[in-house]
Amino acid sequence: MPVMAVRILLVDDHPIVRQGLRTILEGRSGWEVVGEASDGVEALEKVNALHPDIVVLDVTMPRMNGLEACRLIQQDGKKSGLEVLFVTQHDSPQMMREALDAGARGYVVKSNAARDLLEAVEAVSQHRVFTALARSPQAAN
Amino acid sequence: MSESVSGGAMKLRILLADDHEIVRRGLCALLQKREGWEVCGEASDGREALEMAKQLKPDVVIVDIGMPYLNGLDTTRQLLQHDPRFKVIVLTITDSDQVIREALDAGARGFVLKSDAARDLVSAVEALQSKRMFFTPRVNDLVLAGFLDKGHPISRDEPPNLPTLTVREREVTQLLAEGKSSKEVATLLNLSTKTVETHRSNIMRKLSLHSIRDLVVYAIKNNIIQIQMPPQLPRSTETTVV
Repeated sequence: MPVMAVRILLVDDHPIVRQGLRTILEGRSGWEVVGEASDGVEALEKVNALHPDIVVLDVTMPRMNGLEACRLIQQDGKKSGLEVLFVTQHDSPQMMREALDAGARGYVVKSNAARDLLEAVEAVSQHRVFTALARSPQAAN
Repeated sequence: MSESVSGGAMKLRILLADDHEIVRRGLCALLQKREGWEVCGEASDGREALEMAKQLKPDVVIVDIGMPYLNGLDTTRQLLQHDPRFKVIVLTITDSDQVIREALDAGARGFVLKSDAARDLVSAVEALQSKRMFFTPRVNDLVLAGFLDKGHPISRDEPPNLPTLTVREREVTQLLAEGKSSKEVATLLNLSTKTVETHRSNIMRKLSLHSIRDLVVYAIKNNIIQIQMPPQLPRSTETTVV
């Protein structure tokens, strides 16, 4: 089975969280973390410069939060097939709905990111929806 | 609590306690880049951290403040009560006066903001390794201000009510504030339900509280539990996504 190459941009205001996400993602053959950003504004710049396949995005960040960044990314990125996956501390159906409405394809809670992240990136890279609140992972076509 | 021997070299052994595995992974990656340092254990809550620390006897314990079952401040207090030789670094998302004061009172020898951990944590561990302390600049400012303001070693803010509770009562307070029933608390603490009910009555009486809601508010105000603040949704910049 051929390895599917996936280029990922990590966006979180805590470097230590980005490091944790990176260690998980880089364990998967063919997946590459092409860049990191610490807020929504920087995320938009890096999306334009690096053309990732997936943006892994936090919600609460300085300067521009993840929901706003997601809307702006998807305004330009929809044609190119770029997908957004939220990884956030907000274990809330309401916030998940906001994220999907903003154009995200996936939503994972930070407390369970180590469990759900690989599956979520896999699904989102194939343009499938993946949402998982703390107790209930759900993948859907 | 002595540095371990591995391949002839002494290793500094570190225990990590944070309820988010993703954060522990990041911390591990950061710390293990240093030659001669090893993460000897990882705990996902304060109670587990206590057990692991007693068993593993690490050289340095790094504890997050906002952990379930037993928060980082009480974990620090209990660790040092068990053995004053433990060297504890507190990791926190906030550097409010009260949190700083409680961390110092609890006996932490390092205080690092989570947002600055990638920059400061290695320096903090190095400081403790050299028998020094490490605090963020904000703590240094606060301690200096307290020193200049004679008679008030840290801050003039109203002191927390915490000392009025025993260690056990603080444990029970956290678990009740997290929404656990008396029966669940009894199971977790290996007590009878009746004993937990007695603690609960004593806590409510000592603190002049009248409901579990009051208890939750008290626990939040005194950093026994931490709450997740909802973000401000960017309604003003809504963009149509088609």
